[in-house]
Amino acid sequence: MSERNVILKAEDIHKRFGDTEVLRGISLAARKHDVISILGASGSGKSTLLRCLNFLETPTSGTVTVQGEAVLVKHGRPVDPRHIERVRARIGMVFQQFNLWTHRTVLENVMEGPIHVKGVPRAVARARAEALLSRVGLDTRATHYPSQLSGGQQQRVAIARALAMEPDAILFDEPTSALDPELVGDVLRVMQSLAAEGTTMIVVTHEMTFARDVSTDVVFLHEGRVAERGPPERMFTRPETEAFERFIAG
Amino acid sequence: MNPLEILQTYWPRLLDGTLMTLQLTGLGALIAAMVSPFLALVRVQAAPLAQAPLRLYISFMRGTPILAQLFLIFYGSGQFRPFLQEWGLWSFFREPFNCALLAFALNSTAYQTEILRGGMLGVNAGEIEAAKAIGMKRLTVLRRVLFPHAYRIAWPALGNEVILLMKASALASVVTVFDIMGRTRQVFSRSFDFSVYLWAALIYLCITALFVLFWRLAERRLSPQLARVPVPRSRDAPREATSIARPLPDRRP
Amino acid sequence: MLELFALGDAGWGDELLRGLAITVQLALTTLPIGLLLGFAVAAASLSRFRPWRLLGVGYTTVMRGLPEILTLFVVYNGAGLLLNAVARGLDPDGRPIDFSPFAAGVIALGMVFGAFAAEVLRGAFNALDDGQLEAGRAIGMSRVQIFRRIQLPQLWRFALPGLGNLWINLLKDTALVSVIALNDLMRMTKVAVGVTKQPFTFYLAACLVYWALCIVSELALARMERHANRGVTRA
Repeated sequence: MSERNVILKAEDIHKRFGDTEVLRGISLAARKHDVISILGASGSGKSTLLRCLNFLETPTSGTVTVQGEAVLVKHGRPVDPRHIERVRARIGMVFQQFNLWTHRTVLENVMEGPIHVKGVPRAVARARAEALLSRVGLDTRATHYPSQLSGGQQQRVAIARALAMEPDAILFDEPTSALDPELVGDVLRVMQSLAAEGTTMIVVTHEMTFARDVSTDVVFLHEGRVAERGPPERMFTRPETEAFERFIAG
Repeated sequence: MNPLEILQTYWPRLLDGTLMTLQLTGLGALIAAMVSPFLALVRVQAAPLAQAPLRLYISFMRGTPILAQLFLIFYGSGQFRPFLQEWGLWSFFREPFNCALLAFALNSTAYQTEILRGGMLGVNAGEIEAAKAIGMKRLTVLRRVLFPHAYRIAWPALGNEVILLMKASALASVVTVFDIMGRTRQVFSRSFDFSVYLWAALIYLCITALFVLFWRLAERRLSPQLARVPVPRSRDAPREATSIARPLPDRRP
Repeated sequence: MLELFALGDAGWGDELLRGLAITVQLALTTLPIGLLLGFAVAAASLSRFRPWRLLGVGYTTVMRGLPEILTLFVVYNGAGLLLNAVARGLDPDGRPIDFSPFAAGVIALGMVFGAFAAEVLRGAFNALDDGQLEAGRAIGMSRVQIFRRIQLPQLWRFALPGLGNLWINLLKDTALVSVIALNDLMRMTKVAVGVTKQPFTFYLAACLVYWALCIVSELALARMERHANRGVTRA
């Protein structure tokens, strides 16, 4: 694996909450254009792992390296908050609950990051935002407020918001779990088109079709460890562990 | 009782008093509004030990009568006159208006801090996370997400607090400030016409009504209709209420 | 400095304590009157009969919107004038009568308490769980039984925080009656200040006493709330 292409790397990540160790030594690497699906039962630590990658949670031990720069942690707290902010500006995140800013319009949501984090001039940010909203099929809703949109629409806005930062990779934390079944398809289609364009994505998901058909790698977490990993073609047809076999069966 | 005659004769004084009340209330609320966001941040984010002096101050302000606080400052400063004179502060504490303003500002700051704190605790944590996840600096998150939401949530309670402040401001008359109450007592002592009190009551009610109207209009403009978060209006707590929902700390409805 | 507060002739201790007694007396006397009035006004505000409702809403709006000290002066001076008009009618050469400041305090603070209490009770009443009421009816309870055994405990649980808050404010508001010369804690403090010329010391002491009263009340109310909420799990 060429080190030059590695966007995001996690090495031996442990995370403990009080007495419970949720992550017990996870290692993961995302190269450019990778689409990695992280699967696992509830409580297997999938979301926690994802949140450790952009330091919404701080790993108890282990190293996260972004674009070749390791993020230093001491006594369970990041050493350089500025570094974390820079990391977050380069790694986008899409949340299960969308987390759009309800006091801003759809367009303002997408413009917020570029203007207030990257210092992009307003007019430029607006033009980009409009293009992105077009891309996810929501240009007609630009002046609406999130509360006026359906869940699926809100999630697509959230994706546009992440894209607006022109990130090196995007983390998806169960992006469709909070959606009504009819709306899941719209969001998955957007994610699929992103993958087709070569966006580097790490996706925690329950959607097996996405994991099987769109990802380049599948990582299966079981009880805080990587039980199995590999390309989807192999994983889904010839599972090597009993745990994963049971998982895809039930 | 000659209400019309009273009004005809004494309206300049009553107008004077009204302006004084508005001044006292407005300045007091404004000072509190400028200080409270910082204190509220301390209340929400600082360690318990660091919060202790602030909590003590707030408890004192809420646990003692405003009249006593007013007397403590106005009359109490007299006990330290030499010291204050030496520091050039006596000219400030000598004026009843200043003492009243200080007392009301201190009092309202404590209440506004708790109200704002309630608002901040009500902000959706997810939206804050999204702001962090996009790489916003801490200060930017406060400015663009936390405080805008916190103020919208706390808006009705803050308006309530201003009204309560105005009612409290009537106590300034006891230390010879000529606000509405002060002028009313003055007119009554000359005319012994009871109707002056009714005019005073009317003035207070009108100010309150106009303010409520303005505050609600402002609320509608601040909150895009559908981003409205329902806020408990009944007055509960200075203590934490344990029944129903956890309401915003507030004095009275 | 503590000698200032000594009991007996040496200090002001017993004068202040006597004032404190009046303060507490005033608050305790006002409480039941205010509560009763609150129930009455709440009932009016919830009535199906429109004029009652208007009366209720009008009362709470006015009484909550006026400064308490204004209400106090209105009651004191108003009652005083009324009393004297009647007295002069009966005895034209008699001395003017003073209306008791204590009575004025009870009436004024009671009216204010009643207005705020009405709002708390109204909110509590609206929050009642109809399901429990239906269950009572289903097993054949009478209306009175339902009110006493089902609605009242719930009402109490919902209204307690709000009413408790009003009690604490009542304790603080009693200080206002010192302005019309009631010998409560505040007034006795003022007297002591007049003699000793130590305003800060004495007013601070008074503040501390009020503070203590409020804290004790808060503790007691927290206990009552825990008791009222036994068996209730928070959402």
